[in-house]
Amino acid sequence: MGSNSDSKSRRSFNSILPNPCSSNHSTDGNKSSKKRKTTQKTLGMAWGANSRSSSDSLFCNSPFSDFGSYMAVKNQKLHQQFNAAASSSSNSGPSCANPIFTGVSIFVDGYTVPSNQELRSYMLKYGGRFENYFSRHLVTHIICSNLPDSKIKNLRGFSGGLPVVKPAWVLDSVAANKLLSWVPYQLDQLAVGSDNQPKLAAFFTPKNSGGSEIVYQCVDGPSFPKLNSGQSKDCAAVEQTGNCTAEPGDLLQISINKVMADEPASSIESSCEGNSGKLSDCPPLDGQATDESGSCHASTSRISLPSKRCHSTLTDPNFVENYFRNSRLHFIGTWRTRYRKRFPSLSRGFNCRNSHLNTDRVNKTAIIHIDMDCFFVSVIIRKHPELLGKPVAVCHSDNPRGTSEISSANYPARDHGVKAGMFVKEAKLRCPQLVIVPYDFEAYEKVADQFYDILHKHCSKVQAVSCDEAFLDISESEEGDPQLLASTIRKEIFEATGCTASAGIAGNMLLACLATKTAKPDGQFQIHPEKVESYLCTLPVKMLPGIGHVLEAKLKEKKIKTCGQLQLITKESLQKDFGKKTGEMLWNYSRGIDNRLVGVIQESKSIGAEVNWGVRFMNSDDTQHFLMKLCKEVSLRLQGCGVQGRSFTLKIKKKRSDAGEPVKYMGCGDCQNLSHTITIPMATDDADVLHRLATQLFAHFHVDVEDIRGMGLQASKLEGADDNKIGCKGNSILSWLVSGSAKVNANNEIGLSNTSKPCNLDALSDNQRLSHGKVSWQPHSNITGSSIRTDSSLSHSETGVSKNANLPCLPDLDMTVIDALPPEVVSEINQMYGGMLYEFISENKSKTERTEMVFTATSKDAGFTVQETERSPAHIVQSNKLRTNEHGDEANVVHDAASSCPRNLMPSSLSQVDCLVLQQLPDELKKDIIKLLPQHREAEFVRDVSATGIDKQIDSEASTSNKLWIGSPPMWVEKFRISTCKVLNRCAMIYESGSCSCLSSLLQRLMSRTLITIEGADGYNVAVSWLCDLIKQYIDLKIATNIEEVSCCICLLKRLTLKSNIFLEVYNIILPHVQASVGEKYGGTLCIPFVST
Amino acid sequence: MDRKDNSTPQGEIARILVEFMEVAITSIVFLKGIYPNGAFERRRYMNVVVHKAKHPQLNEYIHSALEGLLPFINKGLVDRVVVIFFGDDDVPIERFIFKLSVNQSYNSKVEQADLEFSLRSFLIKLPVSEPLTKPLPRNCRWEITAYFHALPEAGTSKDAEMWIPTDAKQWLQPPLIVPIKSMTSEPLGLQLYLEHPSHTEPKKT
Repeated sequence: MGSNSDSKSRRSFNSILPNPCSSNHSTDGNKSSKKRKTTQKTLGMAWGANSRSSSDSLFCNSPFSDFGSYMAVKNQKLHQQFNAAASSSSNSGPSCANPIFTGVSIFVDGYTVPSNQELRSYMLKYGGRFENYFSRHLVTHIICSNLPDSKIKNLRGFSGGLPVVKPAWVLDSVAANKLLSWVPYQLDQLAVGSDNQPKLAAFFTPKNSGGSEIVYQCVDGPSFPKLNSGQSKDCAAVEQTGNCTAEPGDLLQISINKVMADEPASSIESSCEGNSGKLSDCPPLDGQATDESGSCHASTSRISLPSKRCHSTLTDPNFVENYFRNSRLHFIGTWRTRYRKRFPSLSRGFNCRNSHLNTDRVNKTAIIHIDMDCFFVSVIIRKHPELLGKPVAVCHSDNPRGTSEISSANYPARDHGVKAGMFVKEAKLRCPQLVIVPYDFEAYEKVADQFYDILHKHCSKVQAVSCDEAFLDISESEEGDPQLLASTIRKEIFEATGCTASAGIAGNMLLACLATKTAKPDGQFQIHPEKVESYLCTLPVKMLPGIGHVLEAKLKEKKIKTCGQLQLITKESLQKDFGKKTGEMLWNYSRGIDNRLVGVIQESKSIGAEVNWGVRFMNSDDTQHFLMKLCKEVSLRLQGCGVQGRSFTLKIKKKRSDAGEPVKYMGCGDCQNLSHTITIPMATDDADVLHRLATQLFAHFHVDVEDIRGMGLQASKLEGADDNKIGCKGNSILSWLVSGSAKVNANNEIGLSNTSKPCNLDALSDNQRLSHGKVSWQPHSNITGSSIRTDSSLSHSETGVSKNANLPCLPDLDMTVIDALPPEVVSEINQMYGGMLYEFISENKSKTERTEMVFTATSKDAGFTVQETERSPAHIVQSNKLRTNEHGDEANVVHDAASSCPRNLMPSSLSQVDCLVLQQLPDELKKDIIKLLPQHREAEFVRDVSATGIDKQIDSEASTSNKLWIGSPPMWVEKFRISTCKVLNRCAMIYESGSCSCLSSLLQRLMSRTLITIEGADGYNVAVSWLCDLIKQYIDLKIATNIEEVSCCICLLKRLTLKSNIFLEVYNIILPHVQASVGEKYGGTLCIPFVST
Repeated sequence: MDRKDNSTPQGEIARILVEFMEVAITSIVFLKGIYPNGAFERRRYMNVVVHKAKHPQLNEYIHSALEGLLPFINKGLVDRVVVIFFGDDDVPIERFIFKLSVNQSYNSKVEQADLEFSLRSFLIKLPVSEPLTKPLPRNCRWEITAYFHALPEAGTSKDAEMWIPTDAKQWLQPPLIVPIKSMTSEPLGLQLYLEHPSHTEPKKT
């Protein structure tokens, strides 16, 4: 109280001196123009005097020892005069209708229309107070029409935080016979800055405020008009501080609190005022809102600066969260996720059923489209019967400038031409009595849930379109009459929610939707199949979903206004004019054709969040902060949907250089849309990763942060979060197993049409591209089987097992790999060999008939097929290829070439001769070939001295150690066949059956046979030693080049030990030998896995 | 020089081999999960899905190491190319060994398609052999080491100079060998196997 500075009072003192005190003294109930002038001139003085007087506790010093005491006495006298006048006027009867200004005390500043004396008389008449001198403690409202710049700049010092309103407020209140909210009447000069529209911050409730704010909470209850009043007052207060201190952020917050703490009296006073005003304003609203949702918008301190300086994104650290919390579009957008969580079984369960059920019953389907009538409004006004039938619109704010957009309007409002998306200002022009109400998202959620509960109760096939709109497929419903069902549902909805809904019934979704449009509001309408045509005929095209302004304008150009006219145009010409999809859509829709099925919910392709309101940045820190929040939001949404994104797009709305402040408060205005996308290899939903990416993307833009009006981050290339976990295992077998074997058919074709090698390979690679990443590892015997079938009909002979110099020979083929190969690759193997064969064939056209092996060289349609066998019960596929040597000569030819073929067809070494083929040949032929071979072999030796592998076997033919594997068939086969041991016989048999060219496959085949060996029987020891020799020699052959085969053999042998003792013995003998060999060649020991029994 | 190299089958083989091993080694590094999966991107090589390092340095290391080997492979000096994974104490944990044998006297045309076919089988088998490998501890490093039949003369090539004698620690016991894949396609023989420390290998605490 006593804190007023000396300088101030001194100045006041000086300035007051010239004033004729008498004029002040002479003031009484009469209104003199002289007095008015005086007040106008000495405004500053008046305050100063007032503050001085308040600092002076002397009250009744009649000699007026100082100016302060003089003023105090004067004020006292004025009050007495006013009270006297007031009581006389109230006594004077009927004129004193209603003390509407109770608790209001005005101070008139400057020139006003009506004059301050007239205002005073209003106050007298309607129970208010009129102060001649300003006092923060007595005055509740400052009335003025105009303010000088200096006062605007120093509003806080001028008004003491009190509302500064136009005189029209008083007049209008009198006219309305109730106290109106002063907010719309706030002085224009201030309104520009402070704006009565609740600031972004106003929606959000910072929880950090202290006791001073509790006061404010009392002031502004949850109801809307009241909210506004309390709020903008606070805004004003804050603005003043902002102006004074010009410090943003926390300092600002502190100063607000300080200001409030300084003036508890005024706060309380205004709170009283607020309450009374509110109560008289719209009591029902207030009462219910307080009961219902005390939390709703009960914001406390409004931190907001004038828009020119203020960056909403700045002032609220939780801007993004709050933005979305208060966004209707966000509510609608995220509603679906909520819905799915609520009805997961329902929304998915019938999907599967539905897709095939529906297709054949298109004609019989009956679909109900249910849409709540102006959902966003009716949910609000259902609790306010007094608003029923009045034009009401939902909007974020109700401010006099009307720069916010209407989100939804009820039917009475629509009758006045009020539409969604319209600025409040314009809407008010069209419909002055329009009532603006705020959102209540909790209520929306509740109603939407009730709505769907009812729908799901009546029908199992519900497709949610939006929170207030759904399709029901009642074709299977037991309730016969759809009309009846629709009315039941509507009735229940009304009973449960208090909101009306409209229903359209028709044969498909399009018509049902159209029917609803006809039915609205609060009705239902059925389009019978026979009436579809007549209904559509006159229907304006713009009624069709998917036809907007642009399309409508285009159609108008073509003089098409109704669906009937549209029907006359052919589909082709529509598609030509409007594009394929749109054209088809127009054609279909104009005929009432809609093939969509109820219940098919489209998976969203992208998930993102975008903010383009209230975005103002000062520096890059703000942007970073904002980006982080945005990323968090996107991350939450991704997690909410259970997906992760691989591609991220950052969108930025950049103010155009010539664009001024947008019409819509804090809106984005005229903007340039920029975007950048980044794709990452691993899908993510992690906020930190997103933030890093977003920062990276943001760096690409090179925009001035102050020009940014909106930002959005969108994730696309969505993958299920669970899928990704599998993917983390790299391309492990799991990920390959996922897909099915749908490609078999295609593969069969490829497998069979071996027209030519390059062509095949092309086709193959195409095919692989198609199935890239999802080829199946199941052994695809079908594909090879199909080629086998063609072969086997022709050839029952043992196929040739040959060794090839270029392609890996069959023994080298890893059976397990082949087994597991995707069909594409298997067929590719075929083609590789086949292609070579084809080349060979074309070179050697003089092909003679084969004796044993039959090549199906039907080149007329499919080239020829590769000789294939598949005998193994375990589906071991062996592509027994026919080998060419490096000269393109074909070894297989040998068998029939002995007599008829030219010499150049002879193989260059015995090793290249297909042993099995040779074996099957008639004896004379065999001899001939053997005779021919040595000559070649010599040449071979000269040319290819250091040949490895099989060739070595030839080299060491003379040596006794390796002789078992020499020959074709290897010598051991004969030896084993004549053996008395069953196991050996079996080995020989398997080998001769031709499918096992290498020891590992032979052993593998043995695994599947039952082996009976009688220990100690005749020749048992011989058999063991023979087997040992066989394996040892084989290992010696392979150890240098193919440790894989060696390891495979040992492992199989170990497995065989479980089956038969003879192998146990063999294994025990072989193992040290193998380990020694491996040690010698590789400097280690072979790792042999344990075999579990 | 390159052209001359390519004109011989050995030169061609060496070139293919180097390219192949670059892919295969990257696949191994990917397989072992030393780096996050995101450091790799999916590519197609020889019609098989493989992974390529996205990080330029990693890519460069593998690439330059193998490019540097090219002249030596060409001459048939390289016996083995080994990818070694070390633990904290610089003792190898796992070694992936490519054992090469190029037939130096081979002089006919190389059937590229056949060679590719054989090499592809490595790339197919490699990813599925993950269960054969050992899990790596957190702080591990890896390197590429080449074993030569004979020490090369100095200064044969600029790239080759990037190869330095290794001082990597060895196991004290003969390792356990786990074969992964072997193939022979004239004139190239290539085997890939794993070496793990023997069970009797003294373990540091």
